[in-house]
Amino acid sequence: MPGNSTGIPTRKFGQSDVQVSAIGCGGHHLGDAPDQATATQIVHEAVDGGITFFDNCWEYHRGKSEEWLGGALKGKRDRVFLMTKVCTHGRDKSLAMKMLEESLHRLQTDHLDLWQIHGVVFENDPDLFIRPNGAAEALRLAKQQGKVRFVGFTGHKDPNVHLKMLGTGFPFDAVQMPLNPLDSNFDLSFEKQVLPELTRRNMAVLGMKPLGGTAAAVKEGVITAEELLRYAMSLPVTTTITGLDKIDVLRQALRVAQNFQPMSPSEMQALRDRALPYSGDARFEPYKVSLKFDNPEARLAHDFPLDMQQKEVKEMFGAGLNTGKPYPMYPGAAQQQEK
Amino acid sequence: MMDKRVLRRTFLKAAAFGTGTLAMSQPQQQVPRRPMGRTGLEVSKLGLGGYHLGTIQDQQLIDRIVGEAIDAGVNFFDNAWEYHDGRSEEVAGQALRGKRDQVIVMTKVCTHGRDQNVAMRQLEDSLRRLQTDHLDVWQIHEVVYWNDPDLIFAPNGAIEALAKAKQQGKVRFVGFTGHKDPRIHLKMLSHNFPFDTVQMPLNCFDATFRSFEQNVLPELNRRGIAPLGMKSFGGSGEMLRHGDVSPSEALGYAMSLPVAVTISGVDTLEVLHQNLEIARGFQPLSAASMESLRQRCRPPAADGHNELFKMSVKYDGKIGREQHHFPNEEELPL
Repeated sequence: MPGNSTGIPTRKFGQSDVQVSAIGCGGHHLGDAPDQATATQIVHEAVDGGITFFDNCWEYHRGKSEEWLGGALKGKRDRVFLMTKVCTHGRDKSLAMKMLEESLHRLQTDHLDLWQIHGVVFENDPDLFIRPNGAAEALRLAKQQGKVRFVGFTGHKDPNVHLKMLGTGFPFDAVQMPLNPLDSNFDLSFEKQVLPELTRRNMAVLGMKPLGGTAAAVKEGVITAEELLRYAMSLPVTTTITGLDKIDVLRQALRVAQNFQPMSPSEMQALRDRALPYSGDARFEPYKVSLKFDNPEARLAHDFPLDMQQKEVKEMFGAGLNTGKPYPMYPGAAQQQEK
Repeated sequence: MMDKRVLRRTFLKAAAFGTGTLAMSQPQQQVPRRPMGRTGLEVSKLGLGGYHLGTIQDQQLIDRIVGEAIDAGVNFFDNAWEYHDGRSEEVAGQALRGKRDQVIVMTKVCTHGRDQNVAMRQLEDSLRRLQTDHLDVWQIHEVVYWNDPDLIFAPNGAIEALAKAKQQGKVRFVGFTGHKDPRIHLKMLSHNFPFDTVQMPLNCFDATFRSFEQNVLPELNRRGIAPLGMKSFGGSGEMLRHGDVSPSEALGYAMSLPVAVTISGVDTLEVLHQNLEIARGFQPLSAASMESLRQRCRPPAADGHNELFKMSVKYDGKIGREQHHFPNEEELPL
């Protein structure tokens, strides 16, 4: 197994010759760190510990996640594989290109290693993506301009929506999705329905939510975080992106990754079996069966109702007018605009 | 011939003037009927939902709603063992006294994974509350969890109760219901049990979101199973409030699908009259109108907020969640 000096295995990124670490640092949780100094410490220790894959997204914490990561990677940009996501959510190419410039600026770099369409979760997202003047054209353009090396998409809701995206025929390099033993049991399973298709196409597979997003299964004592992380890394994936918002959490993840031994098929089955009684209603992976885990920017772009009490919705309205969507359609938005 | 027609028209006009009300200026048409799958029964295109009936406190009002519905030609009455702890069945049984033989009485059994003995006990409860010695249709209620089909078809599971009750002559036809996901319905159908009916949400938002219309309805019609539509307004009128459709568009769409009946819950006379006005002499929407409604509803349908029964636990019954050892709505961030 290829690896680096730290012991973390590295894996080939899809059809390219690029190698990335088998574990990746999630960008959303980085923005949950108490301050920039802690985020910087996490990033530095992660890089020194052998993590090369860094996830992020234009809309995470309204830009804070990208800014903190950009600051932390100063002088280390070339040692990492940098990914961020674009948040058009059905809107057009020109908005995507504006978001790309903002992301590059915040991340203090002139190019991304991977740029992905964020949060493809609604039934009509694939159609909106591939339509004339849609975000698909931005992916092509950015690649042509040398601003991004690889492109892909992400989503957490329904394997059928992922399959629809693949069905558009767009030449994606990578696809990101939840992969964990809970997903494996549930009927809306990315592991069962999408992973084999990506493997067949030799695409880079980015697993996320190894703990089920909210880590509810860990909190209820059903499965340990270490078991979940090992399970996800043992699947045929390029990397497993996990949230690292505290130094302790980072060190635990590094321990697992640096000493990683793949689980045997029977160990993996035993974990699935343990999770089975909780799989009937997806309660340990609620993002598949609920609206509450939708990105507010995505709901905004689709004109779906927003929960104004939600923290992220409040953050979105407090963050200024940078989405290309007229805000005054929403309660309280007019006042925000005047500020 | 010509004279006769003129004569009849004149007569109707005169009669209308005689009553002095605008509402009576047309002869009241009946709600049309159609075959209920292969059962040999003729069912009205509009059925009366049992859940909402149980929310009405005044039995006289319930009697009036049921009576007016029957007079308009409605002959399908929905219910479930667990609705309002049995009250829905009790009030329907009361309202149907003396009219039992004119209608199709359906209720649902709520084992939620438990065995056939529980089902048979619930059947006796339902018969007693509904004041009848047989049901026309008995369905497994709320197949909404992904492991439900396995539990229902396990040895000694609820499916055996359906077969037994039919043998004993206590129920004429059997089926199942569920509101969550067409893929769960297809799992149920994959066992090839001879269901007579299958109930599911069918509406202009479902048409493009986790769609029963696309994925289950054609299969039912292929097999000759009677499709029973429900949640034509989103469960509690969500579509009318957020979805920008009118009652006649929403109910008209549902009733225009190739279904046996569309079951709609009624909790006031106003809602009954609104629904009857749409259903009397109902003419299906044209294919073009249906397609244009589907397209109009497609963007706001894409996240499921108009069909919360698919994308939250709000419509999942308490007993079902308890039986599955699932936390309730308050304990879950869903």
